[in-house]
Amino acid sequence: MTPPRRTHPVTPLVTGVRAAPVLIIGVFVVGNGAATEFFGGLGTGAVVALILLAVGLYSYIAWTRLEFFYDDDGDLRITSGLLVRNERRVQLSRLQSVDITQPLLARLFGLAELRPDVAGASAEGTTLRYLSLEDAQQLRAELLAKAAGLRAEEDAAVSTAPEEVLVQVPPPHLLASLILQPSTVLLVLLVPTVVTFAGVADVWELGITGILLLAAPITVVGGQFLKYFGFTVAQSPDGLRLRFGLTSHRSQTVPPGRVQAVRIERPLMWKPWGWVRVVVNVAGTAGGSEGEERPSVILPVAPLPVARAVLHRVLPGVDPFAVMLERAPAAARWRAPLQHKNLGVGSTSSVFVTRRGWLVPRWDVVPHARTQSVRVVQGPWQRRLGVASIHVDSTPGPVSIVALHQEASRAREIGQAQAKRAGLARRLGGPGQPESASVPESDPLR
Amino acid sequence: MSNDPFVADERGWTPVNPRLATGRRVVATSFTTLITALVVAILVVGGYPELGFVALVLGIGVGLWLWWLIGRQVRAIGYAERDDDLLVVSGILFRRLVLVPYGRMQLVDVRRGPLERYLGLATVQLHTAAATTDATIPGLPPDVAGRLRDQLAAFGEQRSAGL
Repeated sequence: MTPPRRTHPVTPLVTGVRAAPVLIIGVFVVGNGAATEFFGGLGTGAVVALILLAVGLYSYIAWTRLEFFYDDDGDLRITSGLLVRNERRVQLSRLQSVDITQPLLARLFGLAELRPDVAGASAEGTTLRYLSLEDAQQLRAELLAKAAGLRAEEDAAVSTAPEEVLVQVPPPHLLASLILQPSTVLLVLLVPTVVTFAGVADVWELGITGILLLAAPITVVGGQFLKYFGFTVAQSPDGLRLRFGLTSHRSQTVPPGRVQAVRIERPLMWKPWGWVRVVVNVAGTAGGSEGEERPSVILPVAPLPVARAVLHRVLPGVDPFAVMLERAPAAARWRAPLQHKNLGVGSTSSVFVTRRGWLVPRWDVVPHARTQSVRVVQGPWQRRLGVASIHVDSTPGPVSIVALHQEASRAREIGQAQAKRAGLARRLGGPGQPESASVPESDPLR
Repeated sequence: MSNDPFVADERGWTPVNPRLATGRRVVATSFTTLITALVVAILVVGGYPELGFVALVLGIGVGLWLWWLIGRQVRAIGYAERDDDLLVVSGILFRRLVLVPYGRMQLVDVRRGPLERYLGLATVQLHTAAATTDATIPGLPPDVAGRLRDQLAAFGEQRSAGL
C-alpha cells in the first residue's frame, strides 16, 4: 500500500463555487419568504453568508475525506464520503482508458478531472476531481504504465510517455467541414423555403418560426465546433492519444489493438476538397450508459492521405479504398434508389469492407479477427427483387457494418465465407490484432 | 448455391420442438380471447350489440390467423451445428440467418420460463461481444438444450484456445 494522496488543495474552492449559486438560488426561489423566516428573520446577506459557510465547510471536509492510493495488489483505490465511507477499487488489469477532462470552471483554476475507465464499472465513483493538469497527466501515465504491466519504480517519477503529433485539425478547416455537412445545408435550405411559403400564404408567425429554425444548424455547428476544436491526434507508446475541445477540454487514449471497427465517411460536399472523417468502435463496457465518453471520432476532418496515415496506426496495413468491391445488383435500385450506386462489399486477407450511403457515402471496415457474428436478412420486398443484406456484428459503437441489398444467391456465400474467416483469424491471431502489453489477458474480446 | 440464401446445406436444419407452437398459441389465444371479451362486453353493455358481434367475429378471425401464423413461424425456426460455426434460421416474411463462429461465443445461456417448464422446453441463447448478435434457439427439450450448451461451450473453448 502506498501512502494516501489527496486531490488538489484548491478543490474545495472549486466544488464550493460550483455548488453555492445553485443552493443560494434554490433557497431563495423555492423557500422564498420561508428562508428568512426559518433563519429567524436574518437579513438576506446573512443567509447567503451562512450558506457559503456551510458549503465551504462541507466542500473542505469532503476534500479531506477523499484519498487515493495503490493497494497491495497494485490497484488504485479511492476512498471518499463524509458519513458513509465509500471505497472503490480500480482494477488496473481491466483498465480500458483514462480520460482527462477540463470543465470550464476547473480550467479557470488550471485543474482537471481524471476518469479511469474500467470495463463494467460506472465512472461516477472513480472520477478524481480535481487534480492539477500536470498531476492528472502524470497519474494517467502512471496508471496506463501500470496497466501495461510496466510496474512503475517506487520513487522514480514516471514521465508521461513521449508522443509524436500526427495531425492537428486547423479550426477554420473544422468549421468549414461542419458547415458543409448535408444535415447543416439541408437545415439552412429549409429556412428560405419556410419563409417563402409564409410570404405566399401571408402567415407572418410562420415566417418568424422559419427564421428561428436557423437556430438549429447554428447550435449544431457551434456545439460540434466547440467540442472538436483544436483536435490533435498523437501517437504515444500507450496508444493513439486524442485531445480536443474549447470550453471543455478532453483527452482520450485509444490503446493499441482495441479498435474493433472503423468507418470512413465523406459527405458529398467534402468531395471536392478530398476530406474524410474517421470514426471507430472501441472495445469496452457493452452498452454502457457512459458510452459517449469512449473514443468514437478519431479524426473529425482531414484530407484523405492524412486520414490514411491515422488509419494505418489503428489498423496496420489496411487500405479500404484499395479493396475491390462487389457492387449491388441493378435490382437493388428498386429498394434503395438513392444509394444503390454506392452499395458494395468486399474483403481482403485481413478485413471485411462495406460501402453505402447517399449524401454521406461511408466505408465500414471490420477486421476478420474482430468479427463477432454474421447475419443474413431478407424482407419481403428484397425477396421479390432477389436481394438480401449481410450484417457483420461488431462490439457496440457508432460503426455498423452491413452489405445492403446484395445478390440473394451470393448473400449466403458472402456471409458464410466471412464467418469462416472470422473463425480462422481468431485461431491464427491474424493481423489487426497486434500483441500489446496494455491489453490484459483476461479481456474477453481478445 | 441456390437463389435462396436460407436453404439448408446437406446436413439440413434441425427443427425445434412443435410444443413451442402450443406454448405460443396458448399465450396468443388467451390474449386475444381476453381483449375480444373485453371489447365485446363493453360494446354490448354500451348498447351496440351489432358492433359487438362484428368485434367477436373479428376477434375469432385474428385468433385463427395467429394460430396458423405461429405454426408456420415455429416451423421456420431451425439450427445447424457445423464444424466451425452455428447457424440459426428463422422468420417467414422477414427471414434471417445468424452465423456465429464457435470461437466468438462468450457465453451460452439456457433459459426456462414457467410456461416453458410446463411444456418441457428450454431456450438457448448465444452471446458474443457484439450486442447485435441475436442467436436464440427457442423450443428445445431440456436435455437437448443442455447438451447443446455443453457442446457449444466446449467448441468455443477449443476454438479460442491458444490465444
